[in-house]
Amino acid sequence: MDAIRHDHTADPAFRSFSLLRDRVPADMAARVAARFGGTAGDEGDGPAVPAGHVAARMVEALLMGQASRDRLRAAFDLAPALMVELGEGADETAALLDDWSGAPAADLPNLPGFYLSLTTATAYGLQCPVLVCDELVRRGVLDPQRRSTVELCLHEAVANAIVHGNLGLSSAVKSEPGGYRRFSEMMRDRLGDPAVVRRRLDIFCRWNERGIAIAVVDQGGGFDAEATPAIAGNDARSGRGFVFMRTLASRVTVTDGGRCTVLQFDR
Amino acid sequence: MGRLEFTDHDRLRDIVGLVERSDMARFVIDLSALEFIDSAGLGMLLILQEETETRNVRMIVQGAAGDVKRSIDLARLGEIITIAS
Repeated sequence: MDAIRHDHTADPAFRSFSLLRDRVPADMAARVAARFGGTAGDEGDGPAVPAGHVAARMVEALLMGQASRDRLRAAFDLAPALMVELGEGADETAALLDDWSGAPAADLPNLPGFYLSLTTATAYGLQCPVLVCDELVRRGVLDPQRRSTVELCLHEAVANAIVHGNLGLSSAVKSEPGGYRRFSEMMRDRLGDPAVVRRRLDIFCRWNERGIAIAVVDQGGGFDAEATPAIAGNDARSGRGFVFMRTLASRVTVTDGGRCTVLQFDR
Repeated sequence: MGRLEFTDHDRLRDIVGLVERSDMARFVIDLSALEFIDSAGLGMLLILQEETETRNVRMIVQGAAGDVKRSIDLARLGEIITIAS
């Protein structure tokens, strides 16, 4: 996700945001509104309605200091196009410069979908694929009979984005004798690094009458998608996540040097 | 038990510790209460298989059903781990 892409001035109407706040300081919400050319409103008062904007180009964003399961479920009820966790206790100036923009939603605001941007600290252990699939079922987009297939694929994409992407851990260490202990220690070390856990995990869902597309984006070092196995050896310690995705999803596309995995499912 | 996934590597260490400290001949893992397992969780079962094998302990996985069984079947774990129904 490229904030600059969204911050362009060629067509200012694309930058129109309305912001719903959830425990984000008023001055911070105002600065976000100023940066993205929107209008800030308080969560609970209903979506803010800015004057003078073209409604079709409007994108509603709900910002939250720190996300949790309950806050995200409440956010889904308000049905904003974008849900962005800024990170509690984060340096506010740094949070504003974070690489979230909701650019895809803002570019095509009339298409149904939602965008969720979380810090790695929150995404780890939150089971956001469960929340996303709950919401897709609730909106009638995902057939409950097919839910477990989508959830497993999304889970694998999110796990890859967190572990290998944002935490920068390689599974190779698990193949060494006692490597699982080392892997566990490395994971705890990375989770204790504030700079690492501030990296974003973005999940972007879009659908039409024929299919559902879910993009999972991380801010890690990327990887060579060509090197992922089509079939994992049944005794391999890793590599099964991509095999599951490729077996169960209609299509899996990896872009942005391995930082973006797009899963597509027929409806 | 609920879920076995990529956030559970610390639990794996505890389970291996359990195997190391005991003198059991058979190690049965009952997955009947497990609702979800991901590829990392399957990798943990393989690590447990290796750890038990080196100690001459026979590991048996039983009770897998629903989505958990689907993942085990997709990964063809039954070819190297003893899976009982």
